[in-house]
Amino acid sequence: MSRTQSSGSWRRILGSLTLALLLEQLPWSGWALALRPDFLLIGVLFWTLHQPARVGFGSAFLVGLLADFQNGGVFGQHAMAYVVGVYLVLFLRLRLLQFDPLRQATQLFPIFLLVQLLLLLIGWLAANPPSGLTVLLPVTSNTVMWLVLVGVLRLWHGKGMQDRA
Amino acid sequence: MAASDQLMFARQLGATARLLIWLLVGVACVVADSRYHALDSMRSGFSLLLQPVRETLRVPANVAAELGGFFTRHRLLQNERDALRAERARLWVSVNAAREISRENAELRALLQLQARPGQRVVHAALLYQGRDWFVQRMTLDRGTAAKLHSGLPVVDASGLVGQLTQVYPGTSEVTLVSSPEQLTPVFIERTGQRGLAAGSGRGQMELRYMPTHTDVRVNDRLLTSGIDRVYPAGIPVARVTRVSRSQSSPYLRVEGVPLAGLDRSRAVLVLLAEPPLIQAPSPLPPQVKQP
Repeated sequence: MSRTQSSGSWRRILGSLTLALLLEQLPWSGWALALRPDFLLIGVLFWTLHQPARVGFGSAFLVGLLADFQNGGVFGQHAMAYVVGVYLVLFLRLRLLQFDPLRQATQLFPIFLLVQLLLLLIGWLAANPPSGLTVLLPVTSNTVMWLVLVGVLRLWHGKGMQDRA
Repeated sequence: MAASDQLMFARQLGATARLLIWLLVGVACVVADSRYHALDSMRSGFSLLLQPVRETLRVPANVAAELGGFFTRHRLLQNERDALRAERARLWVSVNAAREISRENAELRALLQLQARPGQRVVHAALLYQGRDWFVQRMTLDRGTAAKLHSGLPVVDASGLVGQLTQVYPGTSEVTLVSSPEQLTPVFIERTGQRGLAAGSGRGQMELRYMPTHTDVRVNDRLLTSGIDRVYPAGIPVARVTRVSRSQSSPYLRVEGVPLAGLDRSRAVLVLLAEPPLIQAPSPLPPQVKQP
């Protein structure tokens, strides 16, 4: 583990995930709630992409349990979906890191879609049939949020925001 | 998966194996939670952890609402005051009528030697947080076991039944809304007195189940709780019928309705604490004195 303490320090990782959790605690309602991006998922996938040695399956599972409490769902629903998301990001990691923000977001769209579909499936099996397909709305907002996040980080760090892993 | 710091000899499992292990853990969690309710203490812990955060983050929205209210126009307030005065006058008339009726009712009950209904005790609660409503429609209130709440209690707002407490934590509690799928409420049709079962059908709608095709039910009929389940007190408005249709394939009418309570608007609700009295079956035989 020869690694220099760089931008992806534990403090940053925990800080950004806490921020994501706080954002989810805001009193969202109505359309904003239906369209709310899944900040926790975006945080986990972002750090999996850039710091795979620190954030991976275990952290995704824990954060997923938090998200399950958050949404009043069955424990394990978000956890399993997030773990699958992490797997896919790890699988496509080297490829994703090559792209500019727009293409990266486009490539992440199917991953977000698959994660939501898994949520739908697990919720369906474990609790109730879903009411409508609003469960798929966050896919779009997740992608847009990712684009915004990566774009802002690019501007902030200059073009050299490469992964440090 | 080829992390650049990968060692020459693999010391940890591959990504696929780890994925499978975590998925197994996930399935175990789902089963433990949904079948055996084994993880409720974890839920409690999370709620203790997050309650102060949620309360803090509600402050900006409250301040914005306060400021918005402060700048309400003067003319608007005057109009509202006039409307309220007119309404108060009308309400007084009905209050007098209601007093008369309740006096008469008390007399009749006394005549029939019925038990008077116990005074309802209520607990005020405010909406703390609303989760996504994909599978179960719930909201979180800011009162819990500290206010002597327990799960199963009915929750109402000014216009009707909101739902039932399903999870109670030390400082918060979760309400399953009447419009949540599979949430059943025994009701009767106000106009005819016909009893039935109302169920949530998701998307903020409700349906009246198992009504035979000859049932007299019309659009705009109100459904009130019937009180025969001993969970909800009788006579709380639940829903208004919006559509009645008949299907060829089913022996029952398809009756749809919308909940009367402001499920997505109410910010303050009441939890009804007093339980409906147990109806004691009259003992068929006088107690016999046993001979020693």
